[in-house]
Amino acid sequence: MLSLWLGAFDQGLAYAGLALGVYLTLRVLNFADITVDGSFALGGGSAAMLISNGVAPSLALLAAVILGGLAGCVTALIHTRLGVNDLFAGILTTTGLYSITLRLMGRSNIPLTDLNLGLGPLPDFGTGSDGDWGFALTLVVAGLIGLLALLLSTDLGLALRALGNNPTMARANGISGRTGLTLGIAAGNALVALAGALVGLYQGFADVTMGIGSLILGLGAVIVGESVLRPRTIPMALLAVVLGSILFRLMIAVALQLGLEPVDLKLVTALLLLAALALGRLRLPGVSDGGKSP
Amino acid sequence: MSLQVSGLGWGHSQPGGGWRQLFSNFELSCPSGQFLVVIGSNGSGKSTLLNLVAGTLRAQQGRIELEGRALEQQPDHRRARWIGRVMQNPLDGTAPGLTIAENLRLAERRRRSPFGWRGLLGLHPSAGDRRRYRALLENLGLPLADRIDTPVGQLSGGQRQTISLVMATLGEPQLLLLDEHTAALDPKAEATVMALTDRLVRELGSTALMVTHNLDQALGHGDRLVMLQDGQLLGDWAGPERQALTVSYLRSLYGSAKVPPTES
Repeated sequence: MLSLWLGAFDQGLAYAGLALGVYLTLRVLNFADITVDGSFALGGGSAAMLISNGVAPSLALLAAVILGGLAGCVTALIHTRLGVNDLFAGILTTTGLYSITLRLMGRSNIPLTDLNLGLGPLPDFGTGSDGDWGFALTLVVAGLIGLLALLLSTDLGLALRALGNNPTMARANGISGRTGLTLGIAAGNALVALAGALVGLYQGFADVTMGIGSLILGLGAVIVGESVLRPRTIPMALLAVVLGSILFRLMIAVALQLGLEPVDLKLVTALLLLAALALGRLRLPGVSDGGKSP
Repeated sequence: MSLQVSGLGWGHSQPGGGWRQLFSNFELSCPSGQFLVVIGSNGSGKSTLLNLVAGTLRAQQGRIELEGRALEQQPDHRRARWIGRVMQNPLDGTAPGLTIAENLRLAERRRRSPFGWRGLLGLHPSAGDRRRYRALLENLGLPLADRIDTPVGQLSGGQRQTISLVMATLGEPQLLLLDEHTAALDPKAEATVMALTDRLVRELGSTALMVTHNLDQALGHGDRLVMLQDGQLLGDWAGPERQALTVSYLRSLYGSAKVPPTES
């Protein structure tokens, strides 16, 4: 039983970058970014390809982050320069990314077994590799939360928040929507690609289809986290989003434990999110305002 | 000349088809420090003129210069470095999810893009920023000084418009654009905002352009009054001529011929 909880905790943390990325694009910038589905697989696929070719995992993660950022830039440029609406811009990029990821990977699935991830120096909790993963991922995610909380409190972060909150006001105060959206969407997708790479490492393989439904997963984490913690400040909101990611994974783990077939996982994920949305709407009429303005 | 609009041309296609040329060869010059009030009927081009100056709309012909700087090719977020703007809808001027202090901070550093490396220096609004804003609001006699960490979305329309006005005057703008900025307010809030407008325009010493439908307001504020009709200046009054104007006279001009009537 412990391994079930610990496994869900680890997975939740591995997926935390996805939730933080979706929080950044959807909640902070108010931009519904489907690129997430493509950049998640791009991150997982590119990192797996690099690692299976002998590149150090840390460098592979860095490469995934950069590629994810580039994918975000593409969507942002399509949206801001060509005036294509946010959903279509994201779908265009995601469609193209499928081929790019497949090209990078060379095949649709890359196994990552017998890896030496350099987790050796970690303290031994007596919980085996799940405990090591948990410790390492906690450090990574805590670092991400800290970094994002700081970034969103600088003038740059303030400008991004204003842009998502009221674009008219932002422009009237010298904030360029083009630059802001490009920076924010690139950063969001960099986080998502990092999550893709971490999930690939954790589950021991990367698959070109692993990104399908990522936006929904990330959104689920954001909604669950926000309805549990009701954050009022940015750091709390980031913490809530990560907590949501863990809780969402836990729900799925429980569902699997109760005999759910893995084939039905995406359907159940979608239904879980629908339930979270419906509950959120029924219970907290002001949740969207409160969420956008932590 | 601080604000110089010359040869301005702007038109738009109409919903039913066809083209309406609103401004052709429009000229307006406004010396530094002048408080210019613009009136005119609906569709006369008042708000369009303001939007053309602010950059929300792009001039199709002509030049718009502010202190000798050509603005017509600049996007609105760049013009915002020199132009403070208060819009008609109190919801447009502030970011509701950000606190008063955060909104003021964004306005205060409007001159520099937040996306340069300097945008990453320091956490804002800092304790020093907060102290400064509290002092500013107290000095202006606004009861919002102890609420600077409240999200602006929790304020009333009048309070939000007051914050928009204070924001527009931060960051040393060379031009203040006021687009019917009291139209959505109740009489009490309107009086507060107008008194604050007069004070801030005077203290700032910048050129100001105010569009209004309220004729009492048009006569009670500013140094010069112009009336627009179909994209042309129907009247332009300053000094004693302006002093002699009455609300009923101005009202009689609405919808009258394009040619300005002779003034006594």
